[in-house]
Amino acid sequence: MEISIIAEKLFSIGNFTVTNSLFVAVIVAVVLGITAILRSFGPLREVPRGLQNLVEAVFEGLLDFMEGITHDRALARRFFPLVATIFLFVLFSNWSGLLPGAGTVGLNEEHAGHTILVPFLRGPAADLNMTVALSLVSVLSVQMFGILALGIRGYGSKFIVAPWKKPYVIGTAVGLLELVGEFAKILSFSFRLFGNVFAGEVLLTVMLSLVPYLVPLPFLLLETFVGVVQAAVFSLLTIVFLTMAVTPHHEEGAH
Amino acid sequence: MEILTQIGIDGKLLLAQAVNFLILLAVLYRFAYKPMLSFLEKRTERIEKGLRDAEEAKRRLDEASKDKESILAEAREEARKLVEESRVSAEKRGADLVVEFERKAEKIVAEARERANEEREKLFREAKGEIAELVMATTEKVLREKLEGGAGDATKYLGKE
Repeated sequence: MEISIIAEKLFSIGNFTVTNSLFVAVIVAVVLGITAILRSFGPLREVPRGLQNLVEAVFEGLLDFMEGITHDRALARRFFPLVATIFLFVLFSNWSGLLPGAGTVGLNEEHAGHTILVPFLRGPAADLNMTVALSLVSVLSVQMFGILALGIRGYGSKFIVAPWKKPYVIGTAVGLLELVGEFAKILSFSFRLFGNVFAGEVLLTVMLSLVPYLVPLPFLLLETFVGVVQAAVFSLLTIVFLTMAVTPHHEEGAH
Repeated sequence: MEILTQIGIDGKLLLAQAVNFLILLAVLYRFAYKPMLSFLEKRTERIEKGLRDAEEAKRRLDEASKDKESILAEAREEARKLVEESRVSAEKRGADLVVEFERKAEKIVAEARERANEEREKLFREAKGEIAELVMATTEKVLREKLEGGAGDATKYLGKE
């Protein structure tokens, strides 16, 4: 048994190869999108029912949660689309990796001398391409919101501080650290999510191969929970960074 | 850069994942977030308005019941005063009437007495006159009889005196 850290190639369109994780990511996106579109055809009832109930509960819960961090309803609403999409996409991506067959059902392929299993389904977050892409979207959005809220000068003053200004060289060093921190965010975001999901996948596969019945069940439940936690962590950190980005720097206006 | 390929990072796949996510974001924004959030906001507003209205209505009701209480108390007081006044005035009027009736009765009695007196006096006077006439007539008659009876007799009578 060999579990590749790299997503396996399924097929190619032209010279673009589609991996199993991208395939699942697209399916998750399509399912979520179609659900939203179908939902939008029905009327929104004053007394909610069925799917509307669920959507309302999730949206209200997320919005209240975000408001608790931003302390500002309008700000929470502005960040809501990005954060909610991250939460939903990561959540359902993680859960899709737990579906029966994910990581286990596939074709055996000759590869570099020995046969490896190429599963049809792989949790999208068990592929660094997905997590890095999501981290980039998140961190770039943070920069964008920061610049929109404070202006280029205002936002830039968080990172570039002239050494002859008040905290002098310390301010400059802190600014540089902040700048490095922004790049570190990309790494921590992507490797945290990837690590958790990939580890879960490996754990489940190993468990399944050791004891096929009952024993993997607690781990499956654990991974379901981890899926929620990781989705919550990713979106929570995004809100925190967004809130920090749109808050003016302390030193600003001190002179 | 080699490390990136070793851990499976591929620019094209990366871009594909990002585009996938952004499309999902756009679709959800258009079909879920925008309609749902504005709907939820409207409902929140409506509920808040309903609560405010209920509060206002309760306040008005309280005011109205307080007003009602004071109006009732006022009306009761007024009614009490009115009854009292009418009782007093009725008493007074009753007393007045009694006095008046008494006076009238007295007057009538006095008048009656006076008239009776007058009548009696008149009767008395008339009777006096008649008696006098009668006495005179009788005297005259007796005298005439005597005189016509005989002159001698007259002397007899006279002499006896």
